[in-house]
Amino acid sequence: MRSDVVRLYKVVHTWTGITAGMFLFIAFYAGSITVFAEPLARWASSPASVRLTALAQSDELIARTLAARPDAAKEFTLHLGETEDLWARLTWRKGKDDKSPWSADISSAGDLRFARSYRSSLSDFVDNIHRTAGIPGANDIGETLMGVVSAVYAVALVSGLIVVLPSLVKDLFALRIGPNLKRMWLDAHNVVGVVSLPFHIVIALSAVVFCLHEPLYDALDYVVYDGRLKSIMATSNPFTAIKKDERPASMLPVNVLLDRVKAASPSFVPVEMRYRNAGLRGASVQVWGYDTRYMTRGKGFAVISPVTGEIANTDYLPGREGTWTGIVATFFALHFATFGGDIVRVCYFLLGIAGAFLFYSGNLLWIESRRRTERRHGGPVNQKTSTRTMAAATVGVCLGVICAISITIVAERWLSGRVANIDVWRNAIYYCVFLGSVLWSFLRGAAAASVELLWLAAIATAAIPLTTLTGWTSPALGVQGSASLAALGVDLVALFSALCFVWMARSAAHRVEFGTADSVWAAPQRQLREAAR
Amino acid sequence: MKEIRPDWISKTLAGAILGFSLALALAGLFAWLGPGGLGTPNKFQLVMWLVPPIWLTTLSLCFLFTSGTRAWLWLGGANLIAYAGLFACRQLIH
Repeated sequence: MRSDVVRLYKVVHTWTGITAGMFLFIAFYAGSITVFAEPLARWASSPASVRLTALAQSDELIARTLAARPDAAKEFTLHLGETEDLWARLTWRKGKDDKSPWSADISSAGDLRFARSYRSSLSDFVDNIHRTAGIPGANDIGETLMGVVSAVYAVALVSGLIVVLPSLVKDLFALRIGPNLKRMWLDAHNVVGVVSLPFHIVIALSAVVFCLHEPLYDALDYVVYDGRLKSIMATSNPFTAIKKDERPASMLPVNVLLDRVKAASPSFVPVEMRYRNAGLRGASVQVWGYDTRYMTRGKGFAVISPVTGEIANTDYLPGREGTWTGIVATFFALHFATFGGDIVRVCYFLLGIAGAFLFYSGNLLWIESRRRTERRHGGPVNQKTSTRTMAAATVGVCLGVICAISITIVAERWLSGRVANIDVWRNAIYYCVFLGSVLWSFLRGAAAASVELLWLAAIATAAIPLTTLTGWTSPALGVQGSASLAALGVDLVALFSALCFVWMARSAAHRVEFGTADSVWAAPQRQLREAAR
Repeated sequence: MKEIRPDWISKTLAGAILGFSLALALAGLFAWLGPGGLGTPNKFQLVMWLVPPIWLTTLSLCFLFTSGTRAWLWLGGANLIAYAGLFACRQLIH
């Protein structure tokens, strides 16, 4: 590799990395948590607050609901699971923008009960932070911006690879721990970057697609499809085989429909059935579910006619997709970790955290390479404003998002059922903690704030298992959590993370106190003391 | 060997703009000439997925051009050829 090429790409890597780094830290940290969205949703729900109608009564529930509320026939969902994050067996909305869905259940006395409630989930909130990096705004402005950030991130990956290539063999597994801190951070940054490069390439490219697919389709329609894309999309619609027919017809029982899907794909595990135009000949049911044996786009589905029992479409049924949806499902799976079950999910969680470390360490390296060193007998030096600002921003944003997410998670248990609109509370808590941390970091300086915010992160994260413990020991407080293994897993991971934050806080404090004074990581007090000496 | 001039703005713009239009055209050629032709159901999804890898690879590597002018000329030429092919497809295949 020519040295001028490496020099050139070092500049590319620096500027792309520094622009995208902090957005990506937020996306990766929240994304790691999103991998375990379902356990988190179960952690946040109180145990057995709702007694779901027995699955065996589904047909009765559907028939009685449709008789009492004909408006539900247009589209309703039957939930097949038994986990504590489900709040009703059957739900429907009055239109797409209806945020308060109706639900129906059969009580133990045999009465049909309707309820209407506003439900939104903590996992969706964290997922939203993941997709937008917490950038608020209408018209998916956060997502669009993250699409651009992901494109910049892809350039940073290629340029980083070019920079590291010449010394790859020599330096890859050399982690030089020692007095040269910059060398050590650089070694760590390189080894994490190179080892997880395939993961990062996949994430960067798929994130660009997820964020920018609408403008991309518009451009392709104009340039390639000559305005015909909409009609091609319509013929690709999985419901095309279901013809509109408004004559009334009786529907097959739920069990029969599920058996038909099982026959089509034995390893498919259905979780919900979305009925459309129930009671008519042109009715359809979308059976959504999981299949860990295949690479899937999150949940897959089959479309079945509840009147004839015929499977109408398998384009999105794991293992039964056609060529095109099958290939694309692989890309989705590689982003969402929806293949291979829990082992892959744990790996993605760790890769995501490692990714967050990559961006954090990248910013540290930027700061270290611009450091003004103290000369012997030269007196104390002042670091440049740019490095002090970048240090404060890095600490405030990165540790801020950690604190904000942990505190939002804890607050969920204490507030749910007590406040009218939990969405408003979640947003208020998240943004207060996040912006507060950034402000704190600029006021106190990166050195002091790094220690203090790490302690806050440790306490906030430890409060997650402590909340569960409090719920068990003092049931009167009403913060009881679920006793499922999934929810317990959240507590254990939080406890371990809290211990990690304690360790980081202590070593950061050590550096602030005993590290070299000519660094943005030295506390002002120490510099002042030395100046006075 | 010729020295590489940085030409940051010119190269970045060439990679971002011409790289994107090139990616659209190449994905379009796959849509027209790849298996099944243009109208095959669900093929459009993969066609869209092809755009970011081509676009961002071009953008990442265009700093290797010895100057911004050369980046514009080479990528512009590639665009001309790709769009000529695409135009031919749109005229000849129905």
